[in-house]
Amino acid sequence: MPTPLTQRITAVLWPSFLMAGLATVVFFAVFDPYDLVAPTWFPNLSRLGAYSIGFFLFWLLTASSCLLTCYFQRPVNRVNRLPGRDKE
Amino acid sequence: MARPSDETASSDIETQLYAKRQKIYPREVHGLFAWLRTAAVLALLGLFYIVPWLRWDGRQAVLFDLPGRKFYLFGLTIWPQDFIYLSALLIIAAMSLFFFTALAGRLWCGYACPQTVWTEVFLWIERKIEGSRSQQMKRDKAPLNASKFAVKATKHAVWIVFSLWTGFTFVGFFTPILELGAKLLTFSTGPWETFWVLFYGFATYGNAGWLREQVCIYMCPYARFQSAMVDSNTLVISYDTARGEPRGPRRRGLDPSEKGLGHCIDCSICVQVCPTGIDIRDGLQYQCIGCAACIDGCDDVMQKMNYPKGLIRYTTQNALAGGETKILRPRVIIYAAILLVALSAVFYGLLTRDPIGLDVIRDRNALYRETSDGWIENVYTLKILNMEEIPRVFDVDIAGIEDARLVEDEDGVVVGGGEVVSYVVRVQVDPDEMSRQSTDFEFSVKARDDDSRVAVESARFVGPRWMGES
Ligand code: SF4
Ligand code: SF4
Repeated sequence: MPTPLTQRITAVLWPSFLMAGLATVVFFAVFDPYDLVAPTWFPNLSRLGAYSIGFFLFWLLTASSCLLTCYFQRPVNRVNRLPGRDKE
Repeated sequence: MARPSDETASSDIETQLYAKRQKIYPREVHGLFAWLRTAAVLALLGLFYIVPWLRWDGRQAVLFDLPGRKFYLFGLTIWPQDFIYLSALLIIAAMSLFFFTALAGRLWCGYACPQTVWTEVFLWIERKIEGSRSQQMKRDKAPLNASKFAVKATKHAVWIVFSLWTGFTFVGFFTPILELGAKLLTFSTGPWETFWVLFYGFATYGNAGWLREQVCIYMCPYARFQSAMVDSNTLVISYDTARGEPRGPRRRGLDPSEKGLGHCIDCSICVQVCPTGIDIRDGLQYQCIGCAACIDGCDDVMQKMNYPKGLIRYTTQNALAGGETKILRPRVIIYAAILLVALSAVFYGLLTRDPIGLDVIRDRNALYRETSDGWIENVYTLKILNMEEIPRVFDVDIAGIEDARLVEDEDGVVVGGGEVVSYVVRVQVDPDEMSRQSTDFEFSVKARDDDSRVAVESARFVGPRWMGES
């Protein structure tokens, strides 16, 4: 079944975006970036910058996991098919 | 083994239905529900674009001050310590959604969802610039020429300006909007602010201008589980098959029963107005966002035909089947009860909220230090939070650790209204008096002018290993 491209892209980027947003909120409600690594490693980073970077790191993480889910979800009979046998 | 022929047949249908997305040109409708929807759009967008400009006590009235780690909601300030309220708010939002869905289906989608609201605005702009549905379809079929290009370019330019303004407003909820505006005028916004303005602006443009109903169909989690909340007593938008069928064209003024027809004249207005491009006459479908455009469209036709309105209407499955609609059923009562409990809990919590907060952080660099007179010293940073708007002086004290000395650099800590102050104190003990290597004790801070403003927090004193071994 050909899934539309829009659906495939959103299936990876969108749930991960939502979860990354949630994770960012929870994480930074508990930890203040100023109490974490920021002052020692990135002394010039604003809190907004730290939140944004945190968000994108979370998004990278969650998107990779969505990508893997989609990848493993492909029907097994389409994987490693021998050449010449892909006609149904 | 799967039957290949079946699979191919169904996949052909899927391809036809989904893979190549046909652009949908929703036809403009007028009527009661179109009016309600416009009212909802104006109210919600009005709130969104105006609220960040409101002032309260010399500051922005509603500001989710991320850099300052405080949320201002008019007279109320929410701190990271109040995280529990955020969770409670999420529960309240979810329960309201369940409650209203159980009562009347996708009210949220049809009238309040940002996706609907912004799409309405984008459609409105599109109609103003590109003309009616048929004009748009004709133009899109025509080859590209100068006038077509000009019309399209104007539309996108207006969309983009509107989106950027939306992005700016969005960021204005998180950083003070007046400063942001001033910085914007001189092109000196910070890199992250600029980034988020563009990000949100782009999301608006993409979702409301291009993706539209695909967001509802592919991206919306709510749309997927709505069926779990809807039952046969829920008001949903339905076509009255018994009354409408058999459908078919006819002259005006003809008694349909003479021709053996129902009330549906098969004019396909209901399909043309549908923003998700479905035919409501096929029954309740996952794609239907409950916008009621088809009700308005069909009522108009019914009126012209001199038939009673409501061939498509808000009704329940039970009512359509000739039964009774029960409004107060267990699921509605349960959702309402949870909603009430959560709401009262939040109000009660906010009213009786402890106005003083205290956090104790041990010095991370050294576990302990030895003083010149042979005592053991631990260093702590106290974070004292004064949630009230009045500045206060606080005295620090310790309890639960015998004969310890509390060493402070100042006499009392001044904490302004709505501020957090970090205050470093040292606790020293005589190692010979200690029976254990580590001892738990308590810090307390008390306002000098008001005994009821106290906060207590536990801490741990750690010494060298030999301490207490003698
Ligand atoms: S708008 Fe009403 S009359 Fe026209 S096709 Fe739809 S249901 Fe039938
Ligand atoms: S079927 Fe009717 S209510 Fe549902 S999305 Fe289409 S126009 Fe709106």
